[in-house]
Amino acid sequence: MRIDPFALRKPAALLGLALVAIHLVLALFSPWIAPFDPTELVGGRVDPPGGEFLLGTDALGRDYLSRLLHGGRMALFVTFTGVVAAVTAGSLAGIAAAWFGGTLDDVLMRLCDVKLALPGILFVSLFITGFGESFGVLVTLIGLVYFPGVIRIVRAQALTQVNLGYVKAAQLRGESAFSIIAREILPNTLDVVYVEFAIRMSHAVLLLSTMSYLGLGLSPPTPDWGLMVSEGVGQLAFAPWLVLFPAVFISTLVIGLNFGAEALAGALGLDASRGHVGGT
Amino acid sequence: MKGLGVGYRRPDGRLGPAVIDAAFSLAEGESLGLVGESGSGKSTLARALLGYCRPGGVITSGEILLEGEDIRKLDGAGIRRLRGGRVAFVPQNPLSSLTPHLRVGSQVAEAVRIHRRCGAEEARQATLELFAAVNLPDPAALYDRFPHELSGGQRQRVVISAALAGEPRLVVLDEPTTALDKTTEIQVLELVRSLRDRFKATLVYVSHDLNVVAEMCDRVLVMLQGRVVEQGATARVYRAPAHDYTRRLIAAVPRIDRAAQAVAPAAGGEPILAVADLAYRYATRRRWPWSRGADDGRPALAGVSFAVAAGETLGLVGESGSGKSTAAAIIAGLIAPAGGSLRFAGKPLPPLASAREPATRRRIQIIFQDPLSSLNPRHRIEAILARPLALFHGLAGAAARKRAGELLGQLQLDPAFLDCYPRQLSGGQQQRVAIARAFAADPDLIICDEITSALDVSVQAQVLELLKSLQRRSGAACLFISHDLGVIAQVAARVVVLRDGTVRETGATAEVFRRPADPYTRTLVDAATRGYASLPDLPGTSAAANGTEP
Repeated sequence: MRIDPFALRKPAALLGLALVAIHLVLALFSPWIAPFDPTELVGGRVDPPGGEFLLGTDALGRDYLSRLLHGGRMALFVTFTGVVAAVTAGSLAGIAAAWFGGTLDDVLMRLCDVKLALPGILFVSLFITGFGESFGVLVTLIGLVYFPGVIRIVRAQALTQVNLGYVKAAQLRGESAFSIIAREILPNTLDVVYVEFAIRMSHAVLLLSTMSYLGLGLSPPTPDWGLMVSEGVGQLAFAPWLVLFPAVFISTLVIGLNFGAEALAGALGLDASRGHVGGT
Repeated sequence: MKGLGVGYRRPDGRLGPAVIDAAFSLAEGESLGLVGESGSGKSTLARALLGYCRPGGVITSGEILLEGEDIRKLDGAGIRRLRGGRVAFVPQNPLSSLTPHLRVGSQVAEAVRIHRRCGAEEARQATLELFAAVNLPDPAALYDRFPHELSGGQRQRVVISAALAGEPRLVVLDEPTTALDKTTEIQVLELVRSLRDRFKATLVYVSHDLNVVAEMCDRVLVMLQGRVVEQGATARVYRAPAHDYTRRLIAAVPRIDRAAQAVAPAAGGEPILAVADLAYRYATRRRWPWSRGADDGRPALAGVSFAVAAGETLGLVGESGSGKSTAAAIIAGLIAPAGGSLRFAGKPLPPLASAREPATRRRIQIIFQDPLSSLNPRHRIEAILARPLALFHGLAGAAARKRAGELLGQLQLDPAFLDCYPRQLSGGQQQRVAIARAFAADPDLIICDEITSALDVSVQAQVLELLKSLQRRSGAACLFISHDLGVIAQVAARVVVLRDGTVRETGATAEVFRRPADPYTRTLVDAATRGYASLPDLPGTSAAANGTEP
């Protein structure tokens, strides 16, 4: 992999990487950083920020800062697992579609078309209604949502290679399909796969927050930013910080992931907005 | 207007100089050839004549005088009036210089309207006249075509007509025929020459092809690494090159009238490869999953038969679309033929590589045209060479590395390259690695598919020599595919001429090129030998043959 260090030194890139790093640290170490247990009723109802509770308390009297610090843990874990699954499976399926072509390619592509034609939120609602809201279901859902897009992009990248000399040479040596995919094609799609991962992560965080807000994602009493926004909306008129703080946490994470993805793409010589390559 | 002069000087210091301290002058009506290998700065120099640099470039010093006026002192509006007005440019690739979604007539008419400040109807008439002037058939019908509906030669003529729209005094042509076939090239060159005589325009002609420049230009300027190493009248420079580099460049031009020290076939040997009645046609896309592919269109190959003797080099020559690469892919086992038979070492050869014995796969190797894309960019050279060694000879670890180093040595490459990635090597070095990979299998037949067409002439000469020496050492036969008759003459003892998927002529290379029996072969030979008159027989290059008049 050729990384261009200059692309990582741009202000947006540094900001993005810093935001992602801060969120990761907070999510990993929140049990030790948070001043209170996020589910314990420790204060009065809707105490304003300042004083003993730095960012106030929520409608039940739980410390808001502690809930915010814990609120990214589950979301990040679910989205990370789901997106890793989507990108891994999608890459392998995409390369296989490009290499074998024919019926496998046709079937995979038409399935992708069907998935991409469904409105996302409809798909999510149907899935959650059918299978419930357990961790496994959420991970599977995230994986299914992002799988088709990854297949398409990796397939396109792999298709540019199947007719190149080094792939033909491997074919003529009598290499197995597995060897050609793993040794010759996969290494040349990894750049795209990494960037795909970063872009899908930011989408997935936003999607999960939206789902939680709509009551389709994580369920109370798990601290989660999307849920917190949803619970705070009722008091928006007299306690706006209940919505503002979790919204800031969601936004900074998504902005960080977006800038980070763009920086990564720039450093690898790709174009993040198309998720596609300029060179090899 | 008399004494049109372009005084020109341009040292370029910063950011890695592309052109250093170049100077020349051109009188009205003269034609100048800019010659050099890729990266020598010839295109950069030519573009500077329009006051233009490619992105990232800066004209750092010097002056460009056109009819006494310094182009570098012009403002934006002045430059715009200059370009296409007094100085016109014809780029290399005619397809990318025409806008795909506009009709070609309106694109030329636009140039006419800008430069002649006339109305739409007048511009249309002028465009039709220009189309007629560049010998385009049926200008009125062509006017409404889109660029993709034209052939390569027609497109380049449209571009030339657009360049003439502003009645320029100076026309800069940057490799205008490089993307064209040899026979099309002749027509375009003929056209450029007649236009030069008719419009009295001054020409600057950029090319890597010394034959073309010899034919087109009164004077020639040789560039090497951004410097002008030699300039003068074409005949003088070609006959008595003063600079060492010029001499090497001329010596490296592959010529068909020089006897090839081709690798001779083993006497009376059975053919290692025999193909008979080979046929292939491209399948059209199925309309429905259950429908059969329609079978229209002309076949890519029909009734092609030839044989390669053990140890022999057989040349396969033809223009693009003649089916020569299809034949290579079939013999290599990449695609299955629609008909005909393949025999290898006396036994029938299964069509696809996956159906062949591993030993057979080892014995047939192929080298591709584009050296960069034939090496996996993610693998080091060692891994690239180690794979066939492991697969075919069971070598691994230190033994494989040692053998890979030896192979590089045989191709005059430093074994230190084993730890490099393909991108770190030059085009010629990459192609030599690809050759090493093919010979790593220890093959009996090597298929070379246009292996030097992406390389500069001097690099090409070196690669061909190395290939021949390796072939002599290993005794491998070679099917050498090229569009360049000069290259074929260098390597092949016998030649097969292919056109539109059929064999036009077969015979000993020297015989076929000296006395072509087929009219098409004659056209090819004529195309290849133009400009030879001004190319001298330099000591050391013609030792093997007395230049025979074609």
